[in-house]
Amino acid sequence: MTPPRRHLWIAAAIWAVLSIVGAVLVAGIQIIPVIASREAGIENSAFVLLAVLSVPVLMFVVVGLAYSAIWFRANGDEADGPPIHGHRGFQAAWLGISFALVIGLFAYGAAGLVDIRGAQTADFEVQVSAEQWAWHFTYPSTGATSKELHIPVGQRVHIVINSDDVIHSFWVPAFGIKQDAVPGRTTEIYVTATVAGTYPGLCAELCGFGHTNMRFTTVVSNRAALKAWLRKQKPGSEGSQPPPSGSESAS
Amino acid sequence: MRALKPGLVRAVVGAAIGAVIGAGSLILAGIVGMEITDGEILGLGYLLALIGFLFGIGAFRFWLTWAVGREVNIEEEHAAHGTAGDWRRYFLFTTDHKVIGVQYLATAFTLFLVAGSAAMLMRFELAQPGLVLGKEAYNEIFSTHGAMMITVALISIVGGLGNYLVPIMIGARDMAFPKTNALSYWLLPLPILLVAINPLLGGFDSGWTAYPPLSQQANLGQQAYLLAFVTVGVASILSAINFLVTVFRMRASGMSLMRMPIFVWALTVTSVLGLVATSVVAGAFTMLLFDRVLGTSFFRASRGGDVILFQHLFWFYSHPAVYIMGLPGLGAILEIVPVFARKPLFAYPLAVLSFISIGVLSFMVWAHHMFVSGMATFFHIPIMFTTELISVPTGIVFLSALGTIWMGRLHFKVPMLWVFGFIWAFLIGGITGVFLADVPTDLTLHDTYFVVAHFHYTIVGGAIFGLFAGTYYWFPKITGRMYSERLGKLHFWWFTLAFNATFLPMFWLGIEGMRRRVADYPPQLGGVNLWVSFAAFNIFLSVAVFVFNIVRSWRRGPQAEANPWRAQTLEWQTASPPPIQNFDHIPTVSSGPYEYGGGLGVPAEGRATP
Repeated sequence: MTPPRRHLWIAAAIWAVLSIVGAVLVAGIQIIPVIASREAGIENSAFVLLAVLSVPVLMFVVVGLAYSAIWFRANGDEADGPPIHGHRGFQAAWLGISFALVIGLFAYGAAGLVDIRGAQTADFEVQVSAEQWAWHFTYPSTGATSKELHIPVGQRVHIVINSDDVIHSFWVPAFGIKQDAVPGRTTEIYVTATVAGTYPGLCAELCGFGHTNMRFTTVVSNRAALKAWLRKQKPGSEGSQPPPSGSESAS
Repeated sequence: MRALKPGLVRAVVGAAIGAVIGAGSLILAGIVGMEITDGEILGLGYLLALIGFLFGIGAFRFWLTWAVGREVNIEEEHAAHGTAGDWRRYFLFTTDHKVIGVQYLATAFTLFLVAGSAAMLMRFELAQPGLVLGKEAYNEIFSTHGAMMITVALISIVGGLGNYLVPIMIGARDMAFPKTNALSYWLLPLPILLVAINPLLGGFDSGWTAYPPLSQQANLGQQAYLLAFVTVGVASILSAINFLVTVFRMRASGMSLMRMPIFVWALTVTSVLGLVATSVVAGAFTMLLFDRVLGTSFFRASRGGDVILFQHLFWFYSHPAVYIMGLPGLGAILEIVPVFARKPLFAYPLAVLSFISIGVLSFMVWAHHMFVSGMATFFHIPIMFTTELISVPTGIVFLSALGTIWMGRLHFKVPMLWVFGFIWAFLIGGITGVFLADVPTDLTLHDTYFVVAHFHYTIVGGAIFGLFAGTYYWFPKITGRMYSERLGKLHFWWFTLAFNATFLPMFWLGIEGMRRRVADYPPQLGGVNLWVSFAAFNIFLSVAVFVFNIVRSWRRGPQAEANPWRAQTLEWQTASPPPIQNFDHIPTVSSGPYEYGGGLGVPAEGRATP
């Protein structure tokens, strides 16, 4: 019969090999399919790091289960196993590693959150208004309104979100940002697009039967093209509102 | 005069009378010119129907007799306990906790099949891009599926296995309050029926979360759901009180707290959660009902209400509720592991501590459901911390399970297979939970299929795998007969493979940007969705094997011994099924519940000295 320690060493070796191989495989993947903003980049890094860390955790349990299922079968033997009620060292190590992981993850997550939220300043502002089931975008710099979202590449954009009826959620997957539109409140989010192009946007919060098709298009272009586009837009019917003060200065 | 005895017939008549009085009086008021809404008619009609139903079933007769000062008829009270072997007691107001446990189990599994059918309709719609049933119908179907499955997860183990087993496991003759126990069961049929027929009332399409303002503008079916939810909440609170008093006051001599089976500990912590948290959501839903029916504005932004407040109140219950669903499953799993590994439960005191810590921490993590809701930004930070912290006590469950399995003598009977399936599923659920606890990754994953996959891995993994494990494990105890091992294994492998084939790809769908709660999706996701639908239908078919096995084995399975698993906990030291009074003599407990391998303990037979 194999002595208990031998079992531990063999299982640990299998675990280590599988963990390293798995972690290396995962580390190379871009997980968020399209990354078109600074924020999505930060999220992707967080995603990859968490995925790499989960490999050894996953393997620990899987190897433990599989190894036991193969080597510790009773095979008709009616005898009991050893009367082990616990192991102080092992329990302490388990707790210690768990706490260390949690604190590390928390610190990393908090830093990532602060990084994503960033400073409360912007080069460009868009007001988003959601209703069942459509999106409206207003550009305070010119008073223009549109059904598509147009923002400049490489500049920090302040997105101010409102809803008149039920809760919606403003989401551009390629930007990695999501923010609910809440009746009675104004919510906001910042984003810096990094790649020019056209991206789909969606409502991410159930808002009735039109929810499925509550989409919009986001166009990221350079400043000059955006200015030209803005000039062509008619101010909305509510366009009499004065250009808001505050962060809107660059245009 | 049989029909006039308290029973189902009289209950139905009572419900009908109540409904007619409640709804009828308001309809009359409407005819004479008062302004009456459908919501008001439904509300009062339902309330009086529920009271009529409970009177009819006989829920109040002993209390009323006692209240008016009349002598309680001892024979009648005895009869309410039921006669062994009489199938009719399952349809009566029976105070025996074992009968109530079976009533809960049968109700839960029936509901599981109905809600599962709703899931099949969902996967039918989602099998291909485009619309078949339509968007409105889809929203109503997934809302009903969610509401019913939540109920299954809440009542199946606690109400079913908990009721049946907790008194026996601690060496008691019944629950502390047998009539309250029966009342908390008989509160359920009417609200469950109401949710089931909600399509007749226009359906409800706001999901089980019922966020206002969407739920304020939804159909009458929405109100049916709110009324049903509050009723189920009342039943949960009653049952929680009952469990706590039972566990703390009715243990046999020698059954110290640290000798209690881990399943009893799980139910104890669960009951504390149910008692404390349920009232909050019942309050929130009542406020929502008032907004709909009485014209208040708790959650109406246009009139000074706050829609985010609802989410705080809702999740303040509904996150602990995840543990109300999960902890009993964890308890059942840890109860089963030592028996089939023939080893003591590894780190038992730490496992108890972890259950208590999960209970405490579960009240401090609710707002992780609201990372993109627009709540104050600073609040993300502490909630992210507590959410990640709760993985430490949850991880101890894995420590205990793995530590017990390691170096054991494993018997891969059906319950043990479910234990292994549980560990895998709950592990995937736990690991993916970290991605949702981390705010940066949650910003992209929130409200996608990643979340759908995650909570099915935790709740199906925790509650349903635990429920199946427990149902097979205790089946010989409850029925006195043995299930078919071959069919059980078929069920396990079919269900587990189909379950993973269904929900693993959903993580990928979520990362690819497929949102929750949509009836349609971009065409490039069509292939994977078709696969998922195919796998989901297999889950349903595998459950049919289970139902067949249970029904057939109960009717003519081979007789089971009192203790077929050679287990050491008290429920196995009495006959299968146990006599009405559970034990011929209340045992005295002289050691812990899992003294396998000799060690300090005594052989199983000598443990519980009569």
